[in-house]
Amino acid sequence: MTKLRKTKKQVTPQQNYKRFSSVDGRHPLQKAVPDSAVNYSVRTRKGGKVAFFNFDLAKEMGLIQKNHPNELTPELEQEILNTFSIVIINEYDIENEIKFPKKEIRKHQYMATRYLQLQHPNKQGKTSGDGRSIWNGSISHRGKRWDISSSGTGATCLSPATHLHGKHWKTGDPTISYGCGYSEIDEGMGTLFFSEIFNRNHLETERVLGIIEFSNGIAINIRAQQNLIRPSHMFNYLKQGDLENLDLMVEYYIDREIENGNFQDAPKSKKKRLDYFLEKQTEIFAKMSAKLEDEYIFCWLDWDGDNILMNGGIIDYGSIRQFGLFHSEYRYDDVDRYSTNIIEQKNKARYTVQTFAQLVDYIKTGERKSLKDFSKSKAVKQFDSCFMESKFTNLLEKTGFTEEHIEFLSKKHAKLVVEYQKVFSYFERTKSKEGLHEVADGINWSAIFCMRDILRELPQLFLVRGENLSYDEFINVIKSSYATKEDLELGSHRKKMINEFQSIYWKMTKLIAAHKKVEVNKVLLELTMRTSVINKYDRVTGDSISTIVDKVLKHRPRVKPIQLYSLLQEFCDYQNFDPAKCINVDRPTKVQSKFMKNMLQIVRDYREGL
Amino acid sequence: MKLVFYSGGDFEENYELDKLTLSLCDTNTPKMTFIPSCSYESEYDFKHFVDQFSRHGVSQFLHFPIDIPFDTTLLKEAFKSDVIHLDGGNTFYFLKYLRSSGMMPLLKEFVAKGGILTGLSAGGIIMTPQISTAGFPEFDRDDNDVRLHNLKGMNLVRFEFFPHYKNSKRYDRDLRAHSLTLDHPLYGLPDGSGIIIEDHSVKFHGPCYGFFKGKKMIINSRLPLKKYSSFENEVGTIVNCDTIN
Repeated sequence: MTKLRKTKKQVTPQQNYKRFSSVDGRHPLQKAVPDSAVNYSVRTRKGGKVAFFNFDLAKEMGLIQKNHPNELTPELEQEILNTFSIVIINEYDIENEIKFPKKEIRKHQYMATRYLQLQHPNKQGKTSGDGRSIWNGSISHRGKRWDISSSGTGATCLSPATHLHGKHWKTGDPTISYGCGYSEIDEGMGTLFFSEIFNRNHLETERVLGIIEFSNGIAINIRAQQNLIRPSHMFNYLKQGDLENLDLMVEYYIDREIENGNFQDAPKSKKKRLDYFLEKQTEIFAKMSAKLEDEYIFCWLDWDGDNILMNGGIIDYGSIRQFGLFHSEYRYDDVDRYSTNIIEQKNKARYTVQTFAQLVDYIKTGERKSLKDFSKSKAVKQFDSCFMESKFTNLLEKTGFTEEHIEFLSKKHAKLVVEYQKVFSYFERTKSKEGLHEVADGINWSAIFCMRDILRELPQLFLVRGENLSYDEFINVIKSSYATKEDLELGSHRKKMINEFQSIYWKMTKLIAAHKKVEVNKVLLELTMRTSVINKYDRVTGDSISTIVDKVLKHRPRVKPIQLYSLLQEFCDYQNFDPAKCINVDRPTKVQSKFMKNMLQIVRDYREGL
Repeated sequence: MKLVFYSGGDFEENYELDKLTLSLCDTNTPKMTFIPSCSYESEYDFKHFVDQFSRHGVSQFLHFPIDIPFDTTLLKEAFKSDVIHLDGGNTFYFLKYLRSSGMMPLLKEFVAKGGILTGLSAGGIIMTPQISTAGFPEFDRDDNDVRLHNLKGMNLVRFEFFPHYKNSKRYDRDLRAHSLTLDHPLYGLPDGSGIIIEDHSVKFHGPCYGFFKGKKMIINSRLPLKKYSSFENEVGTIVNCDTIN
């Protein structure tokens, strides 16, 4: 039975929304790199209502006061609509001399930014960039500057459709779908759920500040991040050989990172600043790609540097997936080609670092050398070693070890950690005999072992029995629903691997126990509790997020923004896999809502999928 | 048969009762399995459980949620434990999944073979003949969201259990009324109190109130201080107590 608790009645404090007025289209990038922006006049877009507002994020950004209740008051809704419900006056409007009431036209211009995009006909980024987004501006709060951009605010001249068809498009033209400049509410919702979970688990990502809904599932999806610059914002100038703008863009990015406290020890001299920039970017991309691989996050990285932020943040959730198992052969079918797979992400990230090395050299020397010349550069070598180091750290973290344990094992027993990585990878990468097959949106070759299950259960099984599991018991714990009887056959090599996995696990726990001068049981108990959170049975996958978003949208007319916010908070709390946050704090007793129970069931149903 | 019923309460309130539970073990190094009523956020409750018993020197624990699929390796290990603890939560949900996961006969067998079964609140209610006490009073009851119709419990004892009891008229009204429908006693226990069954003896730890055929009786009114205050009698029979009409 659950005990009754009284809740205190909240008193609504007086609020002001004056910070909204500073989000008016002006952004420092417009002055720092004028060429990077195509500026548009904008006008008020009517007929929208707020479908979601992220109170937590708005407070973090200083848009609303910390004591603002998580309640969408009529005043707040009006403020959100005034600030963000806008549409650009684009080239089509101007060419066709469409007149709009003066009072609806905003004072400042809003920018769409130029960047390289591989799907664009021009491979140098001369005509590509934000095709249906504009940047609303930036806002500074407590030493952090945030960029805000909105998707679905009209068709810009940087959309692929403009150049494929050689004409400017009317915003909302139904004949051109993606190129019409509108976004849909399901895109915003998918991004919302995924990005909030990633953010809760310390992954750098763009976040959804709000969603404004119009009829027919159309929406403006408002996104925020501390720096929305992508590698592709630089790579276009590199490809074009535009040294001046490349330099300006790099300097702008470095300054922003310094302002936000991320590049704290950046040197002052130009050359050293560039070296520092390269070193930092290498580290960011090595750590990011290792993290994506270890968290089974599929992010379509490519040579254009479009689908990722410079700070390693995930952007554009359209192609983001998180797998339940290491489905390393999954490829998304993008009509005319297949995407990269999760293992190839590393090479794409390395290639991006190689390009960073090329661009830094270009700025330093004024001579643009071949990209190939940088394939064995110091930066690429640094990337490889940082990537491997991060993989080791990530694995030990997943196993449940604390920061202190990880440092001890990595420094004093590095060889053992390498062996652990090898045997872990053997199980993680074992695939079904079924082979490559088609799935709903691409192709896959199913993994058959659930590493999270073995990591969750092994320490407690060791704890209560004090000895190894038999071969059958081990397989019984680690097997996934994808494994057939044939897949699970116990050959001599597999038996050897089972022994090795358990032997290394014991060795590591005994080493920690000896180092900390505690009993092995104490270490195993700590691992048991930490890994029960880290490797929770119910973890979201891409498929589960899509299904949940579908459900939410079906219920949408009845779900108010505040209910959606509460639901999201509850769901993200549950999908928080930080053991320090989950098991070392007191938490109030929660009663699960019916909707939450349904969401949980969906997560369970898709837990091993794509 | 070794059973312990926990009403509820915090860490400190159950210190003595925990000691009594461990005194039932035949070993100094007991293994304890924790079965949460629901896997949702059960890591918190498991941590609480571990902290609660670690201070008594227990170091071997197993976290075994039964409302999600589990493997037979874990299942077998759970039933090799010295103590299995059924945690608190929604009684209807818990019973539904104990049944559908096939745990009910296994738990009975575990008890019959001498294993110690403890139940906190909902977990304790499930150990009795039926779980109807989870459904009242109206202001403090579990919701039957899972629409469970068969309310039969494990039937390990001949009494019913009402946890988180508060010695007040609004609780008593419903408890007295319910006791009229029973031919065995109903025990209302405030947080921190417990019932310990060892073979054919029952010990009441801390304040405890009995309800039988519409009458309320004080079984134990004292708070346990350093040593537990309880007395022994026949299972399911109330003797030596004050009747309040």
